[in-house]
Amino acid sequence: MAKVRIIPRLDVKGPNVVKPVMTEALRIVGNPKLLANKYYKDGADEIVYIDIVASLYGRNLDFDQLRKVSEGIFIPFTVGGGIRSIQDINNVLRSGADKVAINTYAISHPNFLRIAVETFGAQCIVLAVDAKRRAGGRWEAYTDGGREKTGMDVITWIKRGIEQGVGEVLVASIDRDGTRDGYEIDLIRQICSFSPVPVIAHGGAGSPDSIYEVIAAGGADAVSASSVFHYKELSIKQLKKYLKSKKINVRLT
Amino acid sequence: MHKVVAKYNSPLDVKFCKRCVVSNQRPRIRFDEQGVCSACRFADKKVKTDWKQREQKLIKLLDKHRRRDGSFDVIVPASGGKDSGYVAHILKTKYRMHPLTVTWAPHIYTEVGWQNFQNFIRSGFDNISGTANGQVHREMTRLAFEKLGDPFLPFIYGQKAFPIRIAVNFKIPLVMYGENGEAEYGGSADNEESPSFDILEDVPKHYFSGLLPKDLASKKITQKDIFIYTLPSRDEIKKVDVSCHWLGYYKKWIPQENFYYAQRYTGFSANPDGRSEGTYSKYASLDDKIDGFHFYLAYIKFGIGRATSDAAHEIRDGHITRDEGISLVRRYDGEFPQKYFREFLEYCNISEKHFWSVIDGWRSPHLWKKISGKWKLLHQVS
Amino acid sequence: MKSKKFVIVDYGVGNMRSLLRAFEYFGADIVVSEDPKTISAADAMIMPGDGAFKTGMDGLAVRKLTQVVLDFAKAGKPTLGICLGAQILFSWGFEFGKHKGLDLIGGRVVKFPKLDKEKIPQIGWNSLELPARKTWKNTILSGIKPGSDVYFIHSYIMMPEKQSDILAYTYWGGVKFCSVVFRGYTLGTQFHPEKSGVVGLQVINNFIKITKNA
Repeated sequence: MAKVRIIPRLDVKGPNVVKPVMTEALRIVGNPKLLANKYYKDGADEIVYIDIVASLYGRNLDFDQLRKVSEGIFIPFTVGGGIRSIQDINNVLRSGADKVAINTYAISHPNFLRIAVETFGAQCIVLAVDAKRRAGGRWEAYTDGGREKTGMDVITWIKRGIEQGVGEVLVASIDRDGTRDGYEIDLIRQICSFSPVPVIAHGGAGSPDSIYEVIAAGGADAVSASSVFHYKELSIKQLKKYLKSKKINVRLT
Repeated sequence: MHKVVAKYNSPLDVKFCKRCVVSNQRPRIRFDEQGVCSACRFADKKVKTDWKQREQKLIKLLDKHRRRDGSFDVIVPASGGKDSGYVAHILKTKYRMHPLTVTWAPHIYTEVGWQNFQNFIRSGFDNISGTANGQVHREMTRLAFEKLGDPFLPFIYGQKAFPIRIAVNFKIPLVMYGENGEAEYGGSADNEESPSFDILEDVPKHYFSGLLPKDLASKKITQKDIFIYTLPSRDEIKKVDVSCHWLGYYKKWIPQENFYYAQRYTGFSANPDGRSEGTYSKYASLDDKIDGFHFYLAYIKFGIGRATSDAAHEIRDGHITRDEGISLVRRYDGEFPQKYFREFLEYCNISEKHFWSVIDGWRSPHLWKKISGKWKLLHQVS
Repeated sequence: MKSKKFVIVDYGVGNMRSLLRAFEYFGADIVVSEDPKTISAADAMIMPGDGAFKTGMDGLAVRKLTQVVLDFAKAGKPTLGICLGAQILFSWGFEFGKHKGLDLIGGRVVKFPKLDKEKIPQIGWNSLELPARKTWKNTILSGIKPGSDVYFIHSYIMMPEKQSDILAYTYWGGVKFCSVVFRGYTLGTQFHPEKSGVVGLQVINNFIKITKNA
């Protein structure tokens, strides 16, 4: 059985890591470099680093800062935030990213993912989706840091992204984000039921059991979490120990 | 002189604050010699304030009012939003008071507004909710829109008057509001250093722009109709010794933190549609379908839209930089509140044509110019 | 003793930043270069890489580095290929058609066969296993415990002709594939040592030691 990856997520704004709730508000919770280092040492399998206001403010993420933060951390970095050109992807990869997550621009530019995949390879390109629950068991994709509706059905959009060749999908639930109420299991389960590429689930991690649930019941290949780690409610080591005890295969350090 | 300038005393020379994004067009705001607005200066004071000392004052005040016989000891005007959620909950839990929350109903509840209100009550609060006469409210909204340039005034009247009337009727002297909006957002300096305000003196000046409900009286609106919008008499207020305080005087007021608090403790949810129209924020003023038009009129009358208001206080609270605020204002300010436009027209019983002619009537030439058939705002923050 | 010079060959594929940092972590004298002279003058060569087999080979060709790299490896100087860099050491690659590799190690690079339970590409941590009757002593995996996890991200796998070329194997979706290949001083890891935390750093340190003792 594949080892489930535990991935702390850093929502970055300027020089700080912030922690929104339901993708709103920007409370500062830490320093990106200190947190990334801490999680690396604590056994994180990867780091997700997203500039959550880049699209909203119409700017790029700080490549210099990314370079400094990723220095000396020898696990993969998935980086996103305001990626809107091949040059942006190039810059991000050269600044320390191993994979690039794209949300806002991909939705408004249907061929961008395909071109990105052809240029850099599928393993480099991650489709990032912010999903808002709607009536009738559906979810709508949002952009610009969870602020703009798109009218696009999440399942339809992810299928399209996979068709374009993305190597991975990072799904974040807007409803669950920062609430500690558990992941959006139905959403994750649905996506995992058809996705031939790995699915990283985000949004709602609370108790260790909630994380176990999104793996066992949702089928997530990897789990991403912020609040529980940033607020020191759970350590990666503790979590992995718990998952191992529930017969989930994880990398132990 | 254009009616906007006459009514609000608007300076003809438009200036923007050097620190935030608000302009000198905001009624009653002051700019100092450095070009910094009074709200930013007030924010500076907040940093230096001894909040421990202020909290001691709060505890003293509450000790005086706390009742041990199970009856209510404080009125909290509440919408069920993030601010009143915070105020009510912290008074109840941390300070062991027994709040009676008092709600003045929005013109038209949004789904999320109603849900937040219900969640708020369910989280553990007694509540009295007042709704104005449906017909009168609509007529007053239309009149307020046409004559006073703010369809939201009938709501504001009741929001201020109704909790006081309940305070008087239930004999609960202490009324705890959230923040001193004039000080926090740029208005009169009258009460900057004060924990409380004189409801009869200050409310008409600061919240009604000098226009009382009775000024809206007409053939259709009688004295009976405006009763619920008016404050109790000075005698009635004095008899119960009603005093209105701001929690923001005693505890550092940070709207963003109120959001986190309310989300956690009173079931508050942000706007499910993403950002509200005219701004980037998702957590403020969500409960009334008419809200958007209040902000839109402010944009027309002052060039200050919803994004400007949101960005300005977030800059002061240190959540975003001025540059970030500017990019948000440029992107969202003045966006037309299309979502509930039809409902607004129907509510006010006016045509779209009439709506636009009223709007255009509120555009002062010192702010607006028609260029190639399109209205352009002459000054933008930079 | 004169310090050994390491070079990372920049042939236009993949990110070299982390790799550079990982070597610098151990104080190695290392540069990134696409200059034939610099490469030839080095004591050890690292070939990084992400992407398609043909893109890799073309990347070398267009920079006129194919022969440079071949000469280097054939001279017996320590050569470490990583991911795509390891795959192009082989004779043939079958990604988007049949393409000729460097042929330093006999064998082919093919796509994972259809897997029952696991996804392709493999993205994530997986363990290195020690083949029977082999030891990792004095190799690039020296000091690493069999079963240790390293980071993989690939859809194609190396299939060496000779069993003796396999230093480590790994399981994915029930398929056993070669994760570390070696022939003398020509080494290849399917995984990314610069992304594999402490275990990966050990691999890099071992390569540095091998070079020092070469």
